[in-house]
Amino acid sequence: MELKDKLEILADAAKYDASCASSGAPKRDSVDKDGLGATTGMGICHSYTPDGRCVSLLKILLTNFCVYDCQYCVNRRSSNVPRARFSVDEVVKLTQDFYLRNYIDGLFLSSGIIQSSDYTMEQLVEVARRLREEHQFRGYIHLKTIPDADPRLIELAGKYADRLSVNIELPTQDSVTRLAPEKNVHTIKLAMGSIRTKLDEKDDHPKAPVFAPAGQSTQMIVGADASDDHTILSTSQTLYGSYKLKRVYYSAFSPIPQSPSSVPSAPPPLLREHRLYQADFLMRGYGFTAGEIMPEAGNLALDIDPKLAWALANRAHFPLDLNRADEAMIARVPGIGLRSAKRLIDLRRLRRIRWEDLSRLRCSLKKLAPFVVTADYKPAQGMASSEHLRRNMADAPQQMNLWPELQAA
Amino acid sequence: MSGGSAAQRVLQGQALPVENFAQWRDAARDLLMHGVAPEQVTWGAPQRDDLLAGDLFSSAPPPAAPSHNVPTPPASAQDAPTRPAPHIPRSFMEMLQSAACCRVPDRWAFLYRVIWRWTQGEHDVQSPADEDGARLNGMVKAVRREEHDMHAYIRFRERPIEAGAPRFVAWYEPRHDVLPQVAEHFARRMGKVSWMIATPEASVLWDGQTLHETGPLAHNAQELEDDGEALWLTYYRSIFNPARLNAGIMHQHITSDRWKHLPEAKIVPHMIGEASRGARKVGQYEAVGQRKGTTIPIAPEDAQPERHQHPSKLDECRRCELYQFATQAVPGEGPKHAQIMLVGEQPGDQEDLAGHPFVGPAGQLLDQVCEAAGLDRSTVYVTNAVKHFKWEPRGKRRLHKTPGQREIEACHYWYEKELASVKPTVIVALGATALKSVLGTATVTLRDSLGKPMRHDGRWVVTTYHPSYVLRVPGEDAKHEAFSIMVQGLKLARELLDRPPEESSEPGLL
Ligand code: SF4
Repeated sequence: MELKDKLEILADAAKYDASCASSGAPKRDSVDKDGLGATTGMGICHSYTPDGRCVSLLKILLTNFCVYDCQYCVNRRSSNVPRARFSVDEVVKLTQDFYLRNYIDGLFLSSGIIQSSDYTMEQLVEVARRLREEHQFRGYIHLKTIPDADPRLIELAGKYADRLSVNIELPTQDSVTRLAPEKNVHTIKLAMGSIRTKLDEKDDHPKAPVFAPAGQSTQMIVGADASDDHTILSTSQTLYGSYKLKRVYYSAFSPIPQSPSSVPSAPPPLLREHRLYQADFLMRGYGFTAGEIMPEAGNLALDIDPKLAWALANRAHFPLDLNRADEAMIARVPGIGLRSAKRLIDLRRLRRIRWEDLSRLRCSLKKLAPFVVTADYKPAQGMASSEHLRRNMADAPQQMNLWPELQAA
Repeated sequence: MSGGSAAQRVLQGQALPVENFAQWRDAARDLLMHGVAPEQVTWGAPQRDDLLAGDLFSSAPPPAAPSHNVPTPPASAQDAPTRPAPHIPRSFMEMLQSAACCRVPDRWAFLYRVIWRWTQGEHDVQSPADEDGARLNGMVKAVRREEHDMHAYIRFRERPIEAGAPRFVAWYEPRHDVLPQVAEHFARRMGKVSWMIATPEASVLWDGQTLHETGPLAHNAQELEDDGEALWLTYYRSIFNPARLNAGIMHQHITSDRWKHLPEAKIVPHMIGEASRGARKVGQYEAVGQRKGTTIPIAPEDAQPERHQHPSKLDECRRCELYQFATQAVPGEGPKHAQIMLVGEQPGDQEDLAGHPFVGPAGQLLDQVCEAAGLDRSTVYVTNAVKHFKWEPRGKRRLHKTPGQREIEACHYWYEKELASVKPTVIVALGATALKSVLGTATVTLRDSLGKPMRHDGRWVVTTYHPSYVLRVPGEDAKHEAFSIMVQGLKLARELLDRPPEESSEPGLL
């Protein structure tokens, strides 16, 4: 099989993994050195595809042969897809060639399980080892970790890769048991735990050998099982807290060719995925707990963003005097982001905050109006009910139609 | 700059020709030292004469202040009082330097107004809430954005080896003057591989070691044949998920004037067309879907991985909710028929990851207590009342949370199993939770039973503190006291080994 054909099949098979980031690696460069590659720590998106997602890494599977039969996965053993397998050398060469042309920031390598977990993991590690040791490649490397692999191999993977990920895929143990019979939440958590232990060791002993400096991440598929957003966010919170994850990626389930009847035949609204990312960011960036965002079972509202939903459900905190509140609370006002909150605090050291400042900072005035007090502004007396505000501030319906083609389908 | 210092020239009514940030900075410093207000200055592009005068290319710094080497300035400028050079914070200076790369016609005048206002004490000129500040921040942002775009969207094409250096060439049309810094980015990235970036205004060449400015160049990179590019297009096509078609977002990220540099631009319309026409239900790329497929003939049993740690029955426990949030159940550990059994509360953060009881800080303290009590830890069985870690999120950490009565009761099942198999003579309850579990009641308090042996179900029960309490209690004295109470508790446990507990099966204090 030609390289081009393999690339076609193995990139196609890798597209269901939502992780793409190439940030968080330590700064490296290749000035006066053999080999190539640099990382700025920031990560760069080198292109965007018409699905709106960025291309920052060469994201491929080493092979899409797989002995597992995870129902949501196009590569499951019972699936009738064309199969291919890259040689280690091919991946190494492709990565460097793409890198030199500035198409990518590095490699994200995953694989179907072939022969055994250990064998598969060994192959993944070997690609990374060759890139790093034989070719002095200093770009970004993200390796998917096979949870059942020998911890020794995971340790080795962390030596070469900037980031490791173990995909939890489904938010509950029951769903994993049902839809991914060969997988096991227990081993997934153990693998994440062993990565965290290594990361801790490195934090405690800066002289310890490098280990996955960009940390670990995971992916959860949304809409392949019946789990609601409440469950999903609570699982994310558990994973963030327990394993120091950098990111949980949410991937709206994409129907797959010859879908088994155990998974839905239609995708969930992409907007649901988007709301989960927003809620996730509230947990990571703003210090919200899952329970604050979703106190009860159910899904996130689609018509308003989760921060606005929280504010409407917690009117007692508002209106908030921007000249007195602390930064964390200001950041919780709908329409004011983390950056603006910080800028308001900086500005407050010089003078009092006025309404005009909010518009200069490009905060969303319509959203924040009912929630703030400034030196020259107070929301009107007899404030509107939350229901009324919600109707006023709900996202315009055309924005809900982000995926007209899918709805038509 | 020819013709005296900046301030002198302004006072003579001349325009100040400035071509780059360093020149502007020197001129601005001089103007500020002479208190020249922004309205008085006309900033001009350098004239051909100025360039030929040589100053721009001389390595000598332009004169910052009048000195005796400079022709005598006209009386007015000489008389102007000189102020000390203003101190500008580095971060602000960097901001100005960055804004200076922004191609707006009045950039030097605007920057001077900003720095003037700053030296007048108007420090919010930096803030986006200020009108000038907003523009300044906007310029910085535009420049950063352009740097970013160039880092992201420059595409190198490979030249045949026979053609010699540069091996890779790129053509780009930057919106702002960012080529120098962008070139440095690629110098760091490409190692010893030679390359060239050409733009309408200037070009840079990296020979593998040094950057060279080579002046404007007709663009020819697009004409190179490059096989790598065909592979890239294949990749781009296949990594796109047609089931998620959302071209609007793509266009938000890459504006059309950037697109034209990208080889993938020419296949995008076709990709969008295909995805929407076919109303794709699946994410697969058409060319892949058309190929012949294979299922993998493997029986489900053979696909089962050989798990190194066979999950024990305990690991499958769902008697309470805690299993969901913990990594694993942590069973007790120790000799099969240890005579002394230590019961703690629950595994902590470390124990949850390691799968063994008392390995974290509390475990280390327990080691010390055992040693002080003359008890070999390897001879005792150590376990917890609750086998899964109960915690609540606090920022990015897990904060220990005391198990509730419900969880203690649920988990008692496992405690009893351990008890039945180890059959210890003496049980040491470490802390209140353990005590509740061991006695199966919440009526006896830790305080009342501390250090007093009890008979319970034909065994001795000794109560002492949990090691975490020793770690947590504030004050050195209190710590010492708690520590010694623990030591006494373990010593007592040792002594009790020689006393038969069977005298009464009633629980009670002695
Ligand atoms: S804490 Fe105990 S009862 Fe609850 S799930 Fe874990 S092992 Fe079972």
